[in-house]
Amino acid sequence: MNPKEEKVKIIAEEFTENEEDAAVGRRKKKVQRQQRKKQPPTAGPEEMVSENPHLGPQQEPGQEEPKTHLLSTTARRGPRSLPPIPSASRTGFAEFSMRERMREKLQAARSKAESALLQEIPTPRPRRLRSPSERESETEFGTEPGKEVRRTQQEDDSQNYSKVKFHDSARKIKSKPQVPPGFPSPEEAYNFFTFNFDPEPEEERSEEEKAGAKTRGGADQEAVSPGQQDEEELLDGREAEDLLLGLEHMADDFVAIRPAEYESVHRWLQKEKEMLFVPSRLTVPTYKKLPENVQPRFLEDEGLYIGARPEVARTTGNIMENRLLVQEPERGWFGDDGRILALPSPIKPFPSRPPVLPPGQSTAAELETLYKKAVKYVHRSQHMIGSGDPSGNFQVDIDISGLIFTHHPCFSREHVLAAKLAQLYDQYLARHQRNKAKFLTDKLHALRNAVQTGLNPEKPQQSLETTQKTIKEYKAEIWQTRRLRDAEQEKDRTLLKTIIKVWKEMKSLREFQRFTNTPLKLVLRKEKVDQKADEEAFEAEIQAEISELLEEHREEYEQKMEEYRAAHQQWKAWKRAQRARKKKKKHAAEEPPDEETEEAPPEEDPGKPVPPEPTDRAVLEQQVRERAAQSRRRPGEPTLVPELSLAGSVTPNDQCPRVEVLRREDVRRRSVYLKVLFNNKEVSRTVSRQLGADFRVHFGQIFNLQIFNWPESLTLQVYETVGHSSATLLAEVFLPIPETTVVTGRAPIEEVEFSSNQHVTLDHEGVGSGVPFSFEADGSNQLILMTSGKVSHSVAWAIGENGIPLIPPLSQQNIGFRSALKRADAISSIGTSGLADMKKLAKWATESKLDPNDPNNAPLMQLISVATSGESYVPDFFRLEQLQQEFNFVSDEELNRSKRFRLLQLRNQEVPEFRNYKQIPVYDREIMEKVFQDYEKRLRDRNVIETKDHIDTHRATVAKYLQQVRESVINRFLIAKHHFLLTDLVVEEEVPNISSEGSGILGLSLFKLAEQKRPLRPRRKGRKKVTAQSLSDGDVKLLVNIIRAYDIPVRTPTPSKFQQPSRTSRTFVEKHAASPSTHSPTHSADYPLGQVLVRPFVEVSFQRTICHTTTAEGPNPSWNEELELPFRAPNGDYSTASLQSVKDDVFINIFDEVLYDVLEDDRERGRGIHTRIERHWLGCVKIPFSTIYFQSRIDGTFKIDIPPVLLGYSKERSMMIERGFDSVRSLSEGSYITLFITMEPQLVPGESVREKELVARYVSLIPFLPDTVSFAGICDLWSTSDQFLDLLAGDEEEHAVLLCNYFLSLGKKAWLVMGSAIPEGATAYVLTWEQNHYLIWNPCSGHFYGQFDTFCPLKSVGCLIGPDNVWFNIQQYDSPLRINFDVTKPKLWKSFFSRSLPYPGLSSVQPEELIYQCTDKAAAAELQDRIEKILKEKIMDWRPRHLTRWNRYCTSTLRHFLPLLERSQGEDVEDDHRAELLKQLGDYRFSGFPLHMAYSEVKPLIEAVYSTGVHNIDVPNVEFALAVYIHPYPKNVLSVWIYVASLIRSR
Amino acid sequence: MAEVHVIGQIMGATGFSESSLFCKWGIHTGAAWKLLSGVREGQTQVDTPQVGDMAYWSHPIDLHFATKGLQGWPRLHLQVWSQDGFGRCQLEGYGFCHVPSSPGTHQLQCPTWRPLGSWREQLARVFVGGGPQLLHGDTIYSGADRYRLHTAAGGTVHLELGLLLRHFDRYGVEC
Repeated sequence: MNPKEEKVKIIAEEFTENEEDAAVGRRKKKVQRQQRKKQPPTAGPEEMVSENPHLGPQQEPGQEEPKTHLLSTTARRGPRSLPPIPSASRTGFAEFSMRERMREKLQAARSKAESALLQEIPTPRPRRLRSPSERESETEFGTEPGKEVRRTQQEDDSQNYSKVKFHDSARKIKSKPQVPPGFPSPEEAYNFFTFNFDPEPEEERSEEEKAGAKTRGGADQEAVSPGQQDEEELLDGREAEDLLLGLEHMADDFVAIRPAEYESVHRWLQKEKEMLFVPSRLTVPTYKKLPENVQPRFLEDEGLYIGARPEVARTTGNIMENRLLVQEPERGWFGDDGRILALPSPIKPFPSRPPVLPPGQSTAAELETLYKKAVKYVHRSQHMIGSGDPSGNFQVDIDISGLIFTHHPCFSREHVLAAKLAQLYDQYLARHQRNKAKFLTDKLHALRNAVQTGLNPEKPQQSLETTQKTIKEYKAEIWQTRRLRDAEQEKDRTLLKTIIKVWKEMKSLREFQRFTNTPLKLVLRKEKVDQKADEEAFEAEIQAEISELLEEHREEYEQKMEEYRAAHQQWKAWKRAQRARKKKKKHAAEEPPDEETEEAPPEEDPGKPVPPEPTDRAVLEQQVRERAAQSRRRPGEPTLVPELSLAGSVTPNDQCPRVEVLRREDVRRRSVYLKVLFNNKEVSRTVSRQLGADFRVHFGQIFNLQIFNWPESLTLQVYETVGHSSATLLAEVFLPIPETTVVTGRAPIEEVEFSSNQHVTLDHEGVGSGVPFSFEADGSNQLILMTSGKVSHSVAWAIGENGIPLIPPLSQQNIGFRSALKRADAISSIGTSGLADMKKLAKWATESKLDPNDPNNAPLMQLISVATSGESYVPDFFRLEQLQQEFNFVSDEELNRSKRFRLLQLRNQEVPEFRNYKQIPVYDREIMEKVFQDYEKRLRDRNVIETKDHIDTHRATVAKYLQQVRESVINRFLIAKHHFLLTDLVVEEEVPNISSEGSGILGLSLFKLAEQKRPLRPRRKGRKKVTAQSLSDGDVKLLVNIIRAYDIPVRTPTPSKFQQPSRTSRTFVEKHAASPSTHSPTHSADYPLGQVLVRPFVEVSFQRTICHTTTAEGPNPSWNEELELPFRAPNGDYSTASLQSVKDDVFINIFDEVLYDVLEDDRERGRGIHTRIERHWLGCVKIPFSTIYFQSRIDGTFKIDIPPVLLGYSKERSMMIERGFDSVRSLSEGSYITLFITMEPQLVPGESVREKELVARYVSLIPFLPDTVSFAGICDLWSTSDQFLDLLAGDEEEHAVLLCNYFLSLGKKAWLVMGSAIPEGATAYVLTWEQNHYLIWNPCSGHFYGQFDTFCPLKSVGCLIGPDNVWFNIQQYDSPLRINFDVTKPKLWKSFFSRSLPYPGLSSVQPEELIYQCTDKAAAAELQDRIEKILKEKIMDWRPRHLTRWNRYCTSTLRHFLPLLERSQGEDVEDDHRAELLKQLGDYRFSGFPLHMAYSEVKPLIEAVYSTGVHNIDVPNVEFALAVYIHPYPKNVLSVWIYVASLIRSR
Repeated sequence: MAEVHVIGQIMGATGFSESSLFCKWGIHTGAAWKLLSGVREGQTQVDTPQVGDMAYWSHPIDLHFATKGLQGWPRLHLQVWSQDGFGRCQLEGYGFCHVPSSPGTHQLQCPTWRPLGSWREQLARVFVGGGPQLLHGDTIYSGADRYRLHTAAGGTVHLELGLLLRHFDRYGVEC
């Protein structure tokens, strides 16, 4: 037996003891149970067997059971250490409450029963005695748990049945007749006698059994389901109820009926009055609420912040106050103001919990959504995701309401006066409104009063000192105020006087000129004043002033006297000292002089002070009066109030003199409009409005500017047009950019003044502008007025649909942080993100006297305290990731030090050095430091100008500049490069179309099937275009088709004979003359017929790959050969951008193959042929690769660039005439070659149109001019001539523009021709008109062609640009041969500026004049030597296996000859030169030629020399000669001549 | 000094009500991350599925990051747009997902949502197209209080990302 259990038992027993004293009902149950014990259960035999042995001990616990249930649950946990079962404890609780209820009812029943004097309660003793045996049985039970489990299962079955039975029995009990009182209990008695053995007690028993088990903590407890138990409890309760019912029945007999007690209302009320306190609803007087003799104090009036009190109804408040006064008289409840102390109302005007909003009304800024219409996709905003781009448009509304001229050239004199008058009147009105004089007068009065009261001290408590001090201050203030007032009054008066004066002038002017121009009318209204009062006031004022002045003077006097006295004293002392010193000196006369020097130098004579003069009252009064008379209205004088009105009438035109009529007409012809410039770009303009007679213009237009960025400037330009002439810019008005708080609707109309500095003199009444004029007849008193005026406008930010102002964020970087900052930043939280100046804000806050206690102002106050407490505290940074530092693996430096990362990044950024870098090593250690060397050097050298390569400093600078610009442009286009068009990505075969005429497969190809096959007439097949992406080296080939050549120079026969010099060129007039017959061909009779004149072949070199054709014969060879040259893109990068920047040229060189028999021994002639082939360069054609790339094919006849002097060759002409080609051929001069060049496969050239937009913008940012190669395809930039000249680089357009400008300045008729030419492609040429025909100039080469020249490289003409118009070719043909250049014919040329769009008088972008500097000749000479040296070295380099000998003699000869060539422009010197050369170098076989180039860099020169192939001669005894001559032209333009020659000593 | 290679593709999207879809994507990283190569953001083509309802983009993503810390691990944010018969584009959904942090190939499914707007806007969306869009795109991936936003679920974007991590072990990060 567990001690705990025992304890529980004891408690339980006590319970029962108490209860059973009264519980009658239960006794009945006990009896029942006792009886049950005696009856053997009628249930199944099994049960009988199993339960019988336990029946005895079980009965007893049954009696206690009802009360122990609850506690038994705790007991159960003890010995068996079974986990507590929640259901069991719950049942316990339910049981407990049930018992409680029952107990209550029983109590009630008992009271009734007691009142009826029931019989004695039987003692519970016997049960108690029995309890020990019960305990014994418990231990028994504990030993056989298995048995019990089985038993409870059986019980389950029997329970349903037993319940029913139980009900029945209860009913039976109820229906039984009530037992009379005096007996133990009706039930007990009944049970005692009439008990029969029903199955019902079995149920009871089983329950008991179970309960017993529970108290014992038996193992069977789990088997009992809680529901079951509940049910049982319920039944228990019901049973108890039944018992109570029975009791009630019995109590009825003991109830006596009495009348209801009644208390009268009055008595009741009285009682209530005694008991209750009803506070009054009347307002409590304040004194009651406050301690005695204390005035209520209102903090709010003292300026302290008191929050809003919570809303309480007046009566409620009163009641409360009354109650508090009575109940808690200590009055701790009342504040200083006599009201109940209260905290500020905690109720916020808005709910602090986010309201459940209807969808779409979310207000959080960062969650804002914007309804966007479904829009067509714009390529520009391609990558917009998350990059913090300013979303949406912003809008500025500019409201221009009108314009008023305060001066205009067309102003008549009267207008000038009127404007002046109006201005003065405005001033007057403004002053009047402010009325400062009145304010100051009042202040003066107040101050005087204050002084008066201060002087008569009524309050003794204030110390005399402070009074004195304040009075002193007051007096100073008075003095100050008086001075100010006097000044103000004087100003007022003078203003009034001026107004009147101007008005008088105007009147006299009107009378004089006998007409009126302006409706202005000034009326002076007199306001009568009370003379006497006025005089008195005036006098009093004067007196007061005098007295004050006197006082001041007195003070001053006294002060001066004081000073004087002090000074006087000093002076006296000094005097005395002086005297004493003099005496001393006399004494010291005998002493050594050095002592004298030691003596202090005598003090300066302070001078005898002059005593100050006391002031004279009369003089003072005089002064005051004078001043008053001057500045103030005389007493009694009526006040004058001017009123300006527009009531006057203007004289009609027919009564005016002619000049005035003219003026008015002029005014009418004038109209004004405004241009609105946003960020210096015109965005819109107002309508043009006529100038009114009053010089006011009303516009009333609102411009909504949709913008993307924060505006930099807003400007209005005032334009004036007179009649139909073009507009002139009068003035610019700069509008302030509105504050972020200014939104549409709130912006006030403001006036901004403008003025112009234009000078206008008019021949009518108008006074003009900027020119002196005078109102006087004698012309004195001259005035110069400038055109000026005011624009009234308002600028504001527009408000979006949802009420959000459309203001762009202040800075673009801010936008990402804005939302986050909002929480931390006080400024943004009050919604004024635009406030930038903290100090200003703080100042404003102090000025506006914000209540610092008001929580509404708290953020602002916090901010101000932060701002004022020290600048350093204001955080100017924002940390996004606070703990970043702590969690870093490595430092930034280390990260940046990684070579691998750097390399990767540089490659990704497509830095030229690393653009196609492949395979970056995995480990840092594998990356050599030298990888970066080039790159770093380039970065370092960006600003260092390298002169080594360029020799000439100017060109070096230019080259550097070009290089930099090229880089920056390329960097910019790297971005653009990532934008692809559909065609870049998708190769789409054109869908066959029936209807289309050319490519229609279905239509035409059907016919084609039926067509005859004609193998000899092959058809052209379209080639597929390849996007340059999947290409690699070797895929692309350059195909050059050399077809034929014309007019190749032929070898001249043996040079021993001098022949008549043949004029290879004609005079200028001859060349372009249409008639071809002027030249006389020379015939070289010495030629043996049939001898080969020349054996030309063509060599094409491209990227140092050389191909050549077979050798043809004769001066008009026909090769018809296709040469294939491989193309390698730089760095193997076949992207469009890379291809566009290929700078290589295709050189097509024509050589003459000369065979020399080198057999020295005639005897061997029969056995073998031993010849040496020499090739002589005849000329070349140079075609840049970019042209081929963009044109995709080049087809045509080119002029061969033949050096002006070609030794040993001459043009052969006789044949042509004989053959009858002359009509066409002889028009030309020079040699030609017909070529066809293309790429295989065809590459898609980069789209050049697409970037124009970008480029236009870019160009506007950086004025700059590249040559075609650097920007080929990307854009075309035109530079002005001065830039062109400065840079000394430019493409055809620049050349053409400069050339055209030169022509125009020479007085020629010249146009710029935009068209396409061969080989340049789209280009610009210059067209000039000479007497009766047109000339076409190639600006790059300087060649010119007649209009009907067949070999003119210009193949089509698109438009002509003249100095004042642009014409577009709308003729059927565009070949210059077939078109008419007469631009006056509108049918042939469509002009850009026409009647509908007149020429607006555009100014030229070109500078007024070009400034030319002389080129340094010494530098040119130096450059010349250097180039010569470099070239010589190069030639030696190119001949690595041979000795290169230089013939000095020849070189010097050539050097002398080159200036001649320059002088003669390469013409007409050949024969003289040849003769001379032959004379000098008679025993040499000489082959050589001069090259002429414009100088840009050394490299092209080297290339040119290389391409001539001079160095290729490998005859053993060859000698070379090379001479360079540079001719300097102004502006550093250098003409370079290179003479290269090879000499072979003839035997 | 650790490196992360993100190589993969935006496969496509399913479950959207419209059929012609394209996707704008971007990668957002913390301050510690440094893009070595690759493009941070892009846009796919418009795909109109002929069979089935999955729009396939197969848009490649190839990014190489270096990082000095784990904070701000890259996350992908996506916007799915649809193009209607007139070639107009409207928003279909926003979504974001973190780039996985373990090496290997990962199949990701990024569910999307779009702001709902007022009933008027919803009506307008149905009939004339367009729709409410976030003014601040960073809301997609930032931890702002989004509970006020009323959204409708969009479809799912399927991603396939392969990750190569390097040197993380050097700094004590196991992966």
